Amino acid sequence: MKIGFIGLGIMGRPMALNLIKGGHSVTVWARRTESMQPLLKAGALAAASPADAARGSELVISMVADAPDVAEVMRGVAAGAAPGLVAVDMSTIAPAAARRIGEDLAAAGVDFLDAPVSGGEVGAIAGTLSIMVGGSEAAFARAKPAFECMGKNVVHVGAAGAGQVTKAANQIVTGMGVLAVAEAYAFAAKNGVDRSKVREALMGGFAYSKILENHGQRMLDRNFKPGFKSWMHEKDLNIVMQTAHELGLCLPGSAATAQMFNAMVGSGLGEEDSIAVLKLLERLSGQE
Amino acid sequence: MKVGFIGLGVMGRPMAGHIQRAGHELFVWARRPASADGLAATFCATPAELGRQCEVVFTVITSSDDVKHVALGENGLIEGMAPGSVLVDCSTIAPEAARNIAARLGEKGIAMLDAPVSGGAQGAIDATLAIMAGGEAAVLERVRPLLDCLGKRVVHVGPNGAGQVAKACNQMIMVAAIQAVAEAMRLAAASGVDCARVKQALAGGSAASRVLDVMGERMVRRDFSAGIEARLHHKDYGLVLEAARKCGVAMPLTAVVAQQLNALMAQGWGRDDTASLLRVLEGQ
Repeated sequence: MKIGFIGLGIMGRPMALNLIKGGHSVTVWARRTESMQPLLKAGALAAASPADAARGSELVISMVADAPDVAEVMRGVAAGAAPGLVAVDMSTIAPAAARRIGEDLAAAGVDFLDAPVSGGEVGAIAGTLSIMVGGSEAAFARAKPAFECMGKNVVHVGAAGAGQVTKAANQIVTGMGVLAVAEAYAFAAKNGVDRSKVREALMGGFAYSKILENHGQRMLDRNFKPGFKSWMHEKDLNIVMQTAHELGLCLPGSAATAQMFNAMVGSGLGEEDSIAVLKLLERLSGQE
Repeated sequence: MKVGFIGLGVMGRPMAGHIQRAGHELFVWARRPASADGLAATFCATPAELGRQCEVVFTVITSSDDVKHVALGENGLIEGMAPGSVLVDCSTIAPEAARNIAARLGEKGIAMLDAPVSGGAQGAIDATLAIMAGGEAAVLERVRPLLDCLGKRVVHVGPNGAGQVAKACNQMIMVAAIQAVAEAMRLAAASGVDCARVKQALAGGSAASRVLDVMGERMVRRDFSAGIEARLHHKDYGLVLEAARKCGVAMPLTAVVAQQLNALMAQGWGRDDTASLLRVLEGQ
């Protein structure tokens, strides 16, 4: 399949590489031309603009930072689109923003899918991302072969915006999950109990989770290298809280968690992994 | 002085009346011309036309976007106001929006004050508003005689945006206090104790406050008709949390109170009084 790929950051680059490995013909564009180099070496073609990446493609994928970037890129895509093009945004943005972008593209005759991912850089490199998709059945069927090169767990959740709603739900669970494990560790330590033993004991029971296993281990190792940067988690939780505000939705746990992530960004932990929330807790309780 | 007024709602209308009674010539513009009925004022076709006639223009409107539109949009104040004239924005908007608008107007030599108010509809009618001003001190001094017609307490907080920051702080404290009073009333009722007596007992002690007085009384009487519509507090809490996010500071209590306001909105009580936070608790 001819695929245009826009945005070649930490996530976008390995995802585009996996499309090439999967035998697709990939044309890439990135704001910084130097980030296109590794893809060109791997056999990708270079586009001069988002419109150029869309021209002649059956599928265009964007993986950029924020909603305004997606909107801007997709305006270009609409300008270069051939009839029947499917545009896929895999960035994490607000569900309402995704729906608006989908409507704008529909007006230009382009079918749109919101398809944010979970699994981080490791999952992007290994091609094992979870991909949560919103949009029409027909567009999903068209894009599915591409999704299968990048991810393992590909779920068509519902109509436009449903992918972003799912991703926001994912960030609620992971955000609170990381905070929960960090609080359990702080609790154990302040009580003079060995956290690694606590983790070991919890692993077999109902408190078991992937977060306890992976993030919990990294907390014990005090390995705060990202992974998933806490400023990005803060951004995603802000999407959750803004949406809750607009909908009239009471989310006290998410609200408290979002404030902890605010504080992380404000106190210089934004570039560290989200497990650095443990450091913030320790600071607050005088456990440093 | 020729004074313009945009935004003739529950706050703006009595405020405009005070300015006029103090002997100033009043010019008004409103999206719905009917809202100017009964005011002895010159109705202008656009904000730009109003701006052309006035030395000082007041705006008292709801959202950051509305203020931006009236000030900087097509036929906005910026197209009419002369260099040296002053926009006094009494709306509650984001500090950042206030700074941006001030900067754009400044390019044309038009001065701006962000001057949000506290005191509610009653304070506007009684001319007892607390006014928190952000902007240049010299500009504030020029319009102070007008502000003195509206309120008892005019404080220069700092440069542009500082007035809105003060207003955000005001809203945080006030609504959190309303939530605290609601929870106290809830605990009293759930314990089988008379809320009115509890409120009476607390009035003399360390927990005494204006919020306990006014909002506690509403809760005791179960009078949830709006003084201040809860939807406005809900809007303000959105601004406060956004400001906190931009500064990277944690505000755990504000965040939780915001969730109670979200629940209030979901119940359809946005046009009722914020004392309805008690009803949110009762719906558990």
